[in-house]
Amino acid sequence: MLKLLAPLLFLIGAVGVVVISDRPMPPADYTFAQINDFFTLDPPRMSYEQDLRMAYAIYEGLVRWDNETFEIEPALAKRWELSEDRRTYTFHLREEARWSNGDPVTAHDIHYSWQRAILPDTAADYAQLFFLIDGAEDYFNWRGEQLSAYAALPERERTEEAARALRAEADERYRETVGVRVIDAHTLEVRLQRPTPYFLDLCAFGVFYPVHRPTVERWASVSGRSGRIEQRHDWTKPGKIVTNGPYEVTSWRFKRDFRIERNPYYWNPEMVRSDSVAVVFISNGNTAVLAYQTGSVDWVENVVVDYLPEMIAQKERGERDDLHRIVQYGTYFWSFNCTPTLPDGRDNPFHDPRVRRAFAMSMNKNDIVNRVRRVGEPPATVFIPSGSIPGFDESGSIRGVGYDPAGARRLLAEAGWTIDEGSRRLRNSRGESFPVVELLCSTGSYHENVAQAFQIMWEETIGVQSRIVPKETRVFRDDLKRQNYMMARGGWFGDYGDPTTFLLLHTTGDGNNDRGFSDPHFDELVRSAEEAPTPEDRMRLLEEAERYSMEVALPVVPVFHYVRYYLYDPDRFSGISFHPRSVQYLWKLENKP
Amino acid sequence: MSGLLLRRLLQTPLIVLAVYTITFLLAWALPGSAVISDEGRQPPAAVLEAMEAQYNLDNQWVFYWQYLSDATGASWLGTKLSGGTWPAERPMLDFGPSLRHADWRVNEIIVGTLPVSVALGLSAITIALVVGVAVGVIGALKPNSWIDITTLSIALVGISLPSFLTGTALLLLFPVLLGVGRVAGWGTVGDMVLPALTLSLPFAAYIARLTRMGMIDVLGADYIRTARAKGLPERVVILRHALKNAFLPVLSYLGPATAFAMTGSFVIEMVFNVPGIGQHFVSAVLTKDLFLIMGIVLIYSTMLVLLNLIVDLLYGWVDPRIGAGSG
Repeated sequence: MLKLLAPLLFLIGAVGVVVISDRPMPPADYTFAQINDFFTLDPPRMSYEQDLRMAYAIYEGLVRWDNETFEIEPALAKRWELSEDRRTYTFHLREEARWSNGDPVTAHDIHYSWQRAILPDTAADYAQLFFLIDGAEDYFNWRGEQLSAYAALPERERTEEAARALRAEADERYRETVGVRVIDAHTLEVRLQRPTPYFLDLCAFGVFYPVHRPTVERWASVSGRSGRIEQRHDWTKPGKIVTNGPYEVTSWRFKRDFRIERNPYYWNPEMVRSDSVAVVFISNGNTAVLAYQTGSVDWVENVVVDYLPEMIAQKERGERDDLHRIVQYGTYFWSFNCTPTLPDGRDNPFHDPRVRRAFAMSMNKNDIVNRVRRVGEPPATVFIPSGSIPGFDESGSIRGVGYDPAGARRLLAEAGWTIDEGSRRLRNSRGESFPVVELLCSTGSYHENVAQAFQIMWEETIGVQSRIVPKETRVFRDDLKRQNYMMARGGWFGDYGDPTTFLLLHTTGDGNNDRGFSDPHFDELVRSAEEAPTPEDRMRLLEEAERYSMEVALPVVPVFHYVRYYLYDPDRFSGISFHPRSVQYLWKLENKP
Repeated sequence: MSGLLLRRLLQTPLIVLAVYTITFLLAWALPGSAVISDEGRQPPAAVLEAMEAQYNLDNQWVFYWQYLSDATGASWLGTKLSGGTWPAERPMLDFGPSLRHADWRVNEIIVGTLPVSVALGLSAITIALVVGVAVGVIGALKPNSWIDITTLSIALVGISLPSFLTGTALLLLFPVLLGVGRVAGWGTVGDMVLPALTLSLPFAAYIARLTRMGMIDVLGADYIRTARAKGLPERVVILRHALKNAFLPVLSYLGPATAFAMTGSFVIEMVFNVPGIGQHFVSAVLTKDLFLIMGIVLIYSTMLVLLNLIVDLLYGWVDPRIGAGSG
């Protein structure tokens, strides 16, 4: 008998040990459910929304946005001046600002953090945003060449000592050639490549926030083999990480939970409404909703469930008031392959902007939004969500291309494609039918449903046949990068408060221009905007670029602007911003029990 | 016995190496670049090249050997033997950084999530063992009675229903409707009950069937009749004489079942939001997180091989008829 019980006792003992060694987190002032864990808490490497939201809670930049109006407010800098030529900013940092370990925050911190963000060693997704600073782009390229030259040296010359010398040279060059200058501990001068009206907006963007140099450097080393600075990211863990924002990190368990508490050294404690905030990572949407309903979490930051349309209907019938729609600073679209030839060598009909426009005119976006998606997204005919950027198209004069099947057929006829009376198929003058349009999308989301709706619309209105090509995400991405598609689903979220955060996507050769779109007129509009004499002139030129790309050239067809649903009890939970830039500050949120 | 042990212990590294090599070849062949993330902005091309160089992703075989020697401790040993200094913050067995979770190293991910999956899997197997054996014995004592048919039907349902369904049903019933327990909580024994129960269902059902079949076989055997004829109480006959032999098929199932319970809980982890390792099996492959794939596979293949070894040893112990050398 004992022998039979032995395995059982062993199992129970093992479970016991694991359970005893585990502790649940103490309750926080409020707890919210987040789908994904953070990718990183290292500001220059951030690009995911959840990472940036946390950056705004634990770090503080020179300035910040008011997240209701998106005007710039002082933060780490108490004031600043702009020079006559609008190229040099002088920031005056507050003396009382402290890191969470009590160290003062100084201009040196920004100086160091920005160098780190620019260095190719850091592999920052947003390194290019820093190229607005005078000399930054040259510095980035110079460092790349310096490292290549080093890597070409014979192995015995590549020692750690040599790599350290290499780094010292790079530090020296940064001080001498890049337009970031420490005047004194609390004064920082930033010289820009050219006048950039949205530079302050960028300074409020999390990627520009400072890191604590001694903490970061403790985990950085130079590799003798490659000469690169290699950063271990252990420093972002609780107990090690030092931050300068309203909160400090006190607990982080991978893909499980996360906790922040008031930074005792933060200079402006009155601003912070809750003492502690907990995040639980819940990847399953249904589980997140149930966790909210049973009171485990106070706020679900993204409701992703199949029954969302039913929840919306409940809200419309007045049966629930805890579901909140937030329009996002982003657009869902379908891309055209704009290159002259298709991957298989045939002529690409979408090289002709008239054909692209005609396709856009035969896509009924209201139907997509109301009958396919059913979650209340605003249909889109423009790329930049209207009303999201102060001073940009405030009159709403950019219309884009609306639903107009007759107009689509006329335009196609102009481009040499007419609908054959007998077969109801689109053909050219040589009798060749329009190629079967391949709709590339990634699997596992709603894109196939949207594509099916397009298939029916084109079949009915312009006699075009199409085929859906669903691919697994990584293959999809590869195909997209190599322009191995005819049309493909896409999405884009803006990062900062300027039209270029969207428009640069369509410029020739941009790293995210997956359409192979290249239009000299568009490029010229964007380029000349950067040289415009006043910020107003610049906005007019950028409006023109948006109008041209959305009414004439159409590298993409915008379908809708993204929305997201929050779940929280409005009687208890407050501080959420509904501005279309959709930035939430965790320190503004509050839960009244 | 020790001969078997020695031979199996010598086989272990070879099996693990084979698994590592096959996984590596498959993982390397996954489409897409390992340094580009699926969503979000792309860093400049020069930056991507630099990352590939840093992680040895530009050379398949350099990566293969470097990773193998870092992960098995060969690099550590080599450094120590040649008199070099091993960085203090670097673990002896270094499974590398995760490419998709920039701030985490694979070691930390495994240390944080493996105990959770092990605890969940072992609890589930414990429940399955107790419930399954009890149900099986009861069924075998009165074959085709109403109690037997009821338990068999439940077993059939237990095997057939997918766990996302049973899991969601349990979630709706207990925390949501009855207010018992938490949704998406983890850390107390109470939080473990529902996921462990859900995970145990198919195992319990299978163990019940194995036990029932074994018991029905054994109960007809001569030595049971002898035991009864000697006038032994029925309890002793069943537990000491019959169950001991009927249990052997269950024991051999227990090895792979335990391994499976500790790895195969992806769905349960999703439904109950259990911070286990199962989700990484899937997501690491989907996102081509090479270091994480290889790290998890190395750890798990080692665990599997050792677990099978333990079951083999237990087998010989429970039933001395099975020669120690013949395993």
